[in-house]
Amino acid sequence: MELVVLDNVKKSYVTGEVLTPALKGISISIESGKFVSFVGPSGSGKTTLLNLIGCLDKPTEGKVLVANTEISQMDRKTSAKFRGDNIGFIFQNFNLIPILTVYENVEYPLIMVQNVPTEKRKQRINDLLEKVGMIDQQNKYPAQLSGGQKQRVAVARALVTEPKLVLADEPTANLDHATAYKVIGLMHEMKKKFDTTFIFATHDQKIVGEAEILYTLEDGLITQKQENKKPGEVSK
Amino acid sequence: MKSIIKIAWRNLLRYTRRTLLTASLIAVGVAMVIVFGGVGNSFKSEVIGILTNSNLGDIQIHKKGYVGSIDNLPLDISIPEKGLKKIESLLDNNPEIKAYSPRIRFGAMASNYVQTTGMRFTAVYPEKESKTCPSLVERIKEGNSNPESFVSPGSIVIPLNISTGMNLKLGDNIVLVATNKDGSVNGMTFKISGISENILGPQGKDGYIHIDDAKSLLRIENGEITEIAIKLNNFNKLSSIYAGLKNELKNIQGETTAKPMFEIHTWEELSPFASISKIVTLLIMVVRLVLISIVLISILNVMMMSVYERIGEIGTIASIGTLPSKILALFLTEGLSLGFFSAIAGSIIGIIIILFINLVKLKFKFGMMEISLAPQIPTAEVFFALVIVVIISALASLQPAFKASKMEPVEALRHV
Ligand SMILES: Nc1ncnc2c1ncn2[C@@H]1O[C@H](COP(=O)(O)OP(=O)(O)O)[C@@H](O)[C@H]1O
Ligand SMILES: [Mg+2]
Repeated sequence: MELVVLDNVKKSYVTGEVLTPALKGISISIESGKFVSFVGPSGSGKTTLLNLIGCLDKPTEGKVLVANTEISQMDRKTSAKFRGDNIGFIFQNFNLIPILTVYENVEYPLIMVQNVPTEKRKQRINDLLEKVGMIDQQNKYPAQLSGGQKQRVAVARALVTEPKLVLADEPTANLDHATAYKVIGLMHEMKKKFDTTFIFATHDQKIVGEAEILYTLEDGLITQKQENKKPGEVSK
Repeated sequence: MKSIIKIAWRNLLRYTRRTLLTASLIAVGVAMVIVFGGVGNSFKSEVIGILTNSNLGDIQIHKKGYVGSIDNLPLDISIPEKGLKKIESLLDNNPEIKAYSPRIRFGAMASNYVQTTGMRFTAVYPEKESKTCPSLVERIKEGNSNPESFVSPGSIVIPLNISTGMNLKLGDNIVLVATNKDGSVNGMTFKISGISENILGPQGKDGYIHIDDAKSLLRIENGEITEIAIKLNNFNKLSSIYAGLKNELKNIQGETTAKPMFEIHTWEELSPFASISKIVTLLIMVVRLVLISIVLISILNVMMMSVYERIGEIGTIASIGTLPSKILALFLTEGLSLGFFSAIAGSIIGIIIILFINLVKLKFKFGMMEISLAPQIPTAEVFFALVIVVIISALASLQPAFKASKMEPVEALRHV
């Protein structure tokens, strides 16, 4: 089943008089349950692409369908609700909420975005914290964690709402290599456990081997699509 | 809702110093409103009480034109006996009137055979006067202070400054010389039966004699008088009763001229304190306005800073699907909590200060009056402060909160 479909998608930014074409016509479709990566140099349009798929931005031209929903028709409220129901986000800077503990950060989407009853909530959070290996640290605040630990919490937060799709823009850019591999490994593991689609963007050539499907972006266009039959082999 | 409050609180506590600073600013403002309101109102009612209960009464009626030249205490602008009868029947039939006292007021020279000084006198029926101005007799510090008979024919009550200034004691004789309305001069000797505190007047040289003596001294043959002081059952109904009486008085018209014969005034129009009282009220309003601006500016400032500092966070929570309305609620709750709890703290401080003032019985002299402040806990003031702070906090948080809720997640995220 196709979860994400892009049909000749173009996106340009206007800053003052200057028009920057960031995406110049992208047509791809991504199946559900895959581990997908966009690779390319800085400025090639990865973030722009992820923002469109993540329902955070709208294309200048073309169609973006996520879970059979055309995103350019949505207003702010609808798209916020759509994201909350369908998409998990992992950020380059982890973006945990500093005033909330590890547990509360993972709990946040279940209370403030969805409305999951207490018992179910507890069960899911504990389960996820267990799986990402952060159950012992659940009462710590983000400031007390290392980068890798923060990203584990972020992975748990992205998955706790049981989304169809998890988007990660440069999730390892602020981590050292060893930690980066571990986080990607964790994401891969989670993908298998929850059968969630993962899409991540990176300019780090070394971790791209982890992906099942690899799109290469250059200057706003997809120049290559590779399928990796045995993901995880490259890095080990 | 519980989590919104939790998050709002944690965010407030995150910038402890800034929050405490703002909170104390608001708390001081609220405490000021309460203390100022409590003390100001207590001062006002205390002074008004003293003035109306010892001297002015709540309302006075005179012959038309009297108050215009009241400084000369004219005898020729008087209420004739017929008019007095009509007014009395009007007052007797009004259930809101507690008591009234017909008076003759006049100026006279007082002499102790060595020195002479100008004085002002109010001639009264003691029992009627005591009912109209119940604290008058409390001011008689020496001698007869029986409300039924503090002045009787032949006796006089003089104020303390005359007693000391002219070296007069209880039982001493004093001669009053007065000019009656025809211009002839007459004198009479009185025995000092009481010495009173100085009553607030132009010079404080106000004495009391019995109204029958005034009639002989001033050779008033018929029953005319110069003023009627009135005491109400309920001071708070002053303006409506005043309006009613004024209307009724209009119907008592002169026989030759078809114009109202009498004029009526409330204590406010007769006492210079009324303007001080208005200034106190104005000051209370000013303090309230200051509070409103403190709250508005400080909450607006804090909330704008909060929104600005947390753009990245707003981007995060917006991306992961927090509805704009929830983001709005988060920031509103933050501003509201800050305002509300500061106001609670301020109210507690204000109430403690008022209780303290009550405990030490703050006393001071205001002119010739001894004022003892006993401010009540101003429930209305406390309520006002709380409500206004909450409303203003909400208003002040609204703009920053809207700004936060309207942020585009993509742009906000770039701020990290
Ligand atoms: N908000 C923006 N305004 C103007 N230009 C932008 C904006 N965001 C991205 N761009 C431009 O679009 C192009 C693609 O950027 P981006 O999607 O961030 O690439 P990547 O994530 O691969 O580094 C770049 O040339 C970038 O300068
Ligand atoms: Mg990027």
